[in-house]
Amino acid sequence: MPSNIALNPPTPTKSMFKRAPMASAKSYLSALSQADARARAHGATPTSTPALSLSSSVTSSSEDTVLNDAELDNYDGLALPSVPPTSEQVFPTIHSEFGHCSNENYRYRSAHPAGKPLHNLEETDPPYYILITTYLSYIFLICLGHLRDFVGKRLTPAFYRHLLPYDGYAPLNSDFDSFYTRRLKTRMDDCFSTPTTGVPGRTIMLLDRSTTDYNITHTLTGTRTRGLNISSYNYLGFAQARGGCADAVEEGIRRYGVSTCGARLEGGTSELHIMAEALVARFVGQEDALISSMGFATNSTVIPALVSKGCLVISDELNHASIRYGVRLSGASVRMFKHNDMEALESLLKEVISQGQPKTHRPWKKILIIVEGLYSMEGTLVNLPVIMELKKKYKFYLFIDEAHSIGALGPHGRGVADYFSVNPRHIDILMGTFTKSFGAAGGYVAGNKILIDRLRLRAHGGVYAEAMTPPVLIQVVASMASIMGVSSPVPQLKHSQNSSVSSASTIGLIESAEHHPGPALPSQLPPWMDLPPMMRDGSEGQTRLRRLAFNSRYLTRGLTKLGFILYGHSDSPIVPLLVFHPGKMAVFHRMMRARATPIVVVVVAYPATPLVTSRVRFCLSAAHTKEDIDTILKACDEVGDALDLKHMPGERWPLQRIMDSAVELVNMRDDE
Amino acid sequence: MDSSSSALEPLFAFLSYSVSQIETTFYKIPGSHVVARYVKSSHQDDPGRTVLEILLVIFAIRTLLQSRTRADSGGKHFIQFSEKEVDELVEEWTPEPLGQPLSAEEEADLASVPVISGANGPKPKLLNTGKQVLNLASYNFTGLAGNKDIEQRAIETLRKYGLGSCGPPGFYGTIDVHMDLERSIADFLGAESAILYSQAFSTISSVLPAFAKRHDVIVADRGVNFSIQKGLQISRSTIRWYDHNDLKSLEEVLESIEKDRRKRKAPLTRRFIVTEGIFEKDGAMVDLPKLIELKYKYKYRLVLDESISFGTVGRTGRGLTELYNVPASQVDMLIGSVANGLNSSGGFCAGSRIVIDHQRINGTSFVFSASVPALLAVSASEGINILRNTPSILSTLQENIYAMRAILDRVDCISIPSHPASPIIHIYVRYASPNTLQLPTSSGKPSNPSSVQPRDPPVFDIEAEEHLLQDVVDEALAQGVWVTRARRLRGQELLEARPSLRLAVSAALTKKECEKAANVVKAAAVKVLSRRK
Ligand SMILES: Cc1ncc(COP(=O)(O)O)c(C=O)c1O
Repeated sequence: MPSNIALNPPTPTKSMFKRAPMASAKSYLSALSQADARARAHGATPTSTPALSLSSSVTSSSEDTVLNDAELDNYDGLALPSVPPTSEQVFPTIHSEFGHCSNENYRYRSAHPAGKPLHNLEETDPPYYILITTYLSYIFLICLGHLRDFVGKRLTPAFYRHLLPYDGYAPLNSDFDSFYTRRLKTRMDDCFSTPTTGVPGRTIMLLDRSTTDYNITHTLTGTRTRGLNISSYNYLGFAQARGGCADAVEEGIRRYGVSTCGARLEGGTSELHIMAEALVARFVGQEDALISSMGFATNSTVIPALVSKGCLVISDELNHASIRYGVRLSGASVRMFKHNDMEALESLLKEVISQGQPKTHRPWKKILIIVEGLYSMEGTLVNLPVIMELKKKYKFYLFIDEAHSIGALGPHGRGVADYFSVNPRHIDILMGTFTKSFGAAGGYVAGNKILIDRLRLRAHGGVYAEAMTPPVLIQVVASMASIMGVSSPVPQLKHSQNSSVSSASTIGLIESAEHHPGPALPSQLPPWMDLPPMMRDGSEGQTRLRRLAFNSRYLTRGLTKLGFILYGHSDSPIVPLLVFHPGKMAVFHRMMRARATPIVVVVVAYPATPLVTSRVRFCLSAAHTKEDIDTILKACDEVGDALDLKHMPGERWPLQRIMDSAVELVNMRDDE
Repeated sequence: MDSSSSALEPLFAFLSYSVSQIETTFYKIPGSHVVARYVKSSHQDDPGRTVLEILLVIFAIRTLLQSRTRADSGGKHFIQFSEKEVDELVEEWTPEPLGQPLSAEEEADLASVPVISGANGPKPKLLNTGKQVLNLASYNFTGLAGNKDIEQRAIETLRKYGLGSCGPPGFYGTIDVHMDLERSIADFLGAESAILYSQAFSTISSVLPAFAKRHDVIVADRGVNFSIQKGLQISRSTIRWYDHNDLKSLEEVLESIEKDRRKRKAPLTRRFIVTEGIFEKDGAMVDLPKLIELKYKYKYRLVLDESISFGTVGRTGRGLTELYNVPASQVDMLIGSVANGLNSSGGFCAGSRIVIDHQRINGTSFVFSASVPALLAVSASEGINILRNTPSILSTLQENIYAMRAILDRVDCISIPSHPASPIIHIYVRYASPNTLQLPTSSGKPSNPSSVQPRDPPVFDIEAEEHLLQDVVDEALAQGVWVTRARRLRGQELLEARPSLRLAVSAALTKKECEKAANVVKAAAVKVLSRRK
């Protein structure tokens, strides 16, 4: 009960949040009536209950535009839980933002069983006819596209003018280079870049579009569709407009404004940066950390500061574009190895170390291996235990991009090191972003103090890029602290608090020897930040972690039992479902969206994936409830039958059995 | 009919001969009979299958050839080692440390960065002294930092959208407020369309490589900022350089490229001129009308980085196009900073619809990064509204700049390369004797366009000047005025910039405060620089 997010009645906060704003009273109706009932049961007057006083302070008119009447309009089954809350339960979250789930069985601990080999799902090949028809449909599309270009250039030359040399200018984008985009992607452009509004939480509000020219232009129709959101990178469900984090951010905006006005080294460093960096270092278990205002730029501006000409970067072939961009800027040599293939990596290491630099055969200055913790298109986990073994033998440096794994994996949410029980200090650089699990923006790198200080001066961002803004910093601090819990202040801390004032980057060093993963230190939070008790003691964070782990495993296992071919790992919150056909991909997207309870999915195809393995990618969140996963399973079951997507050999279960045995499925071991 | 077939006879004879030749060679390959029989019989059963299988074989070969992870162990420099030798080599190899510890100098450099306590603005409080200072270090040109209307809008947005966008623009990260901001930037500038990136620094370094590829030609100013340098590097295009802010030199370079192209009869490639509106490095301003004239004359596309000039010059802050009264549509790609100009976060590129839509698929840092948090986008939109409706902001800013320049321009021991209207004022140390360290005396000969090094590079002593400038900074700070040295990535830039102090003027200061600040800087400079030998 104490660790249950759902049973947390809004507590009266101190004067700071006098105007703690909430949505329209309507959206809180369920919570209110329950609080009301409870209050009456306890003999107090309703007006004295915190829930009421909180909801009575709506001042801004615009708040209601998103949380509008649709909020209570449950036509799509998304606004209210299927089982109404009992009179004992008061949910402090809005169901459409963060689902109500109080069943303690729907929780799981995300951790790798010690001593076992890593068990990513096997990449199952589809039947032959699927492969062949997939190729055929690409051939058909390509031929048709060329035919249309051929005819089009003769009939409507104006339409092609910008693709051909004109008036002495070469085209910005030649017809050849843009062929794929124009002739293949455009066909399904209604599946990409859909504009949204409101919070990208458990549900998301899509702005409907229509097109009269086959997806070349779209116009907004003015209507909106709410869908179950299984697409946003919102692993821990911190995309919330209400709750402790948002309250802290609001207070922060009043105190700090929205901008830091400059680069970190040129007049843009705020005390918030110092605190947040100390907190991040503690969260990931490193000595020190450096924050930058964009996740992409964290890679693209830090990697060039780590390696240069004469160094070698060994990179997983599926690494993110930002890593490749940074490596290209660095001037270092690059070798790639097959995705997650540790044998290929070892033989490559043997080769490059023994051969040295090309031509000269001089030894490499440094060798840096860059991998991701959790791959965003594959859902696979890095084989960290093996890499750590290799690291001992081959002495390379290790850089792990934890953009997707930080917060999302491990019993304490501290990423892959936590998940595999590896000492994070044995990893040279831990990089991650705040865009995903923390509902914020930007990224960090963490490592030893010498290295991070070097990066402060040498990475491009410190001198030239705008510093992270105060609202984002506060979201980072609040969400991270609520995952860690905050330790109660101890007397000897007085001293360290003083020293933090005088030094710009040493808070992270204090008590560095203390056991990891520990709670946040009070000095790492702004003194005015008044987190609600369930966030301060870390219980809410724990619930989020455990709900996410449950949801991830349940969906993976459920879809497998339905017969779909999946990639990845069963603990991964990213679940790619293989569709293969380019045509089916678009249809899958449209069918899911057209359901009575619309489901919003992401589809990915070539060039982001290999040609044949077009896929649908689900991103789970702690905000989803078991019923939401049921809804998704049901939808996939039906759509999967209609589109002939179930090609996984092995035992299949009927949908009802899967939904009934969710807990059993989740607790099944990986090798079962 | 007859004559044609007889004419073709030798051809047929040759064909049948070569077919039989191929046949016999084929059957010489071991196992080929099995293959042939298989193909024959399967063709008999189901002719369509043959086609499919052939296609499959073609694809299999293609996929193999495409494999990105082949080791190049067959290369001619490969040395064969035995297992044992490899192990020994692995054992022997010791890497350099990943990061070198900071020198005492660098430690001091890092420690000299003030930390702000509370909100930043025209008069922030610094953490280490606890004192309030006049801020000429932070970019708050239009004084929007701390604007209560913006904060209110930001809070409202927070309560509607939460904080993060939780996705890249392609995957549900395009929020209506992003589209609103893009539209209002485009409208504000008078461009057809605009695209929003989530960090100003990462904007142009993505815009350039989205268009410029290998073999394309980019003509760039020698003084371009670091972000442009990185974009040029990623693009892999052919880069030609012209002397810093010297449009004569630009014209010569364009002319020589054109001559060369005609001589070689080279195919038409994309050609770009890349420069800045107001240069981040020294505050110089480009002559936009002349630039536009050249661009049309030589049929180049113009990429103009207005990261400093957007929001700071022109009647309402629209930048150089407003100042020179040039339609924004004549600049093909106009890049600006939402962070600097509008006190939020992010950057934008404005241009024609074709230019912008192309970036939505090909702008690396746009496609592969989460979009800007909604409340920052709304803050920026609100910023534009304020600029539109309050022209007095820009006139105050310009008056402040004028007031400061009136004092600083008369100080003998410094020199100022910045344009009189530039909101950033760079200050160089001026040396007493003119023939030691000085700007070059032009030898009249043009520089080599293929090299970023100019023919007569200015000579300066980086270490000594930075020391002096830091002393000026410290002295000014002691007097309650916060200025900063222009920080650089020494050793990573294409051309080392001359050390300078960089003042960022703000409309949020009064004229009196600006004069006071200028006098403090002047006094500090005189005090420090007169001490030196
Ligand atoms: C592995 C990886 N690194 C970095 C990033 C970039 O992060 P951001 O979106 O915060 O710029 C991403 C985002 O998709 C990612 O997947």
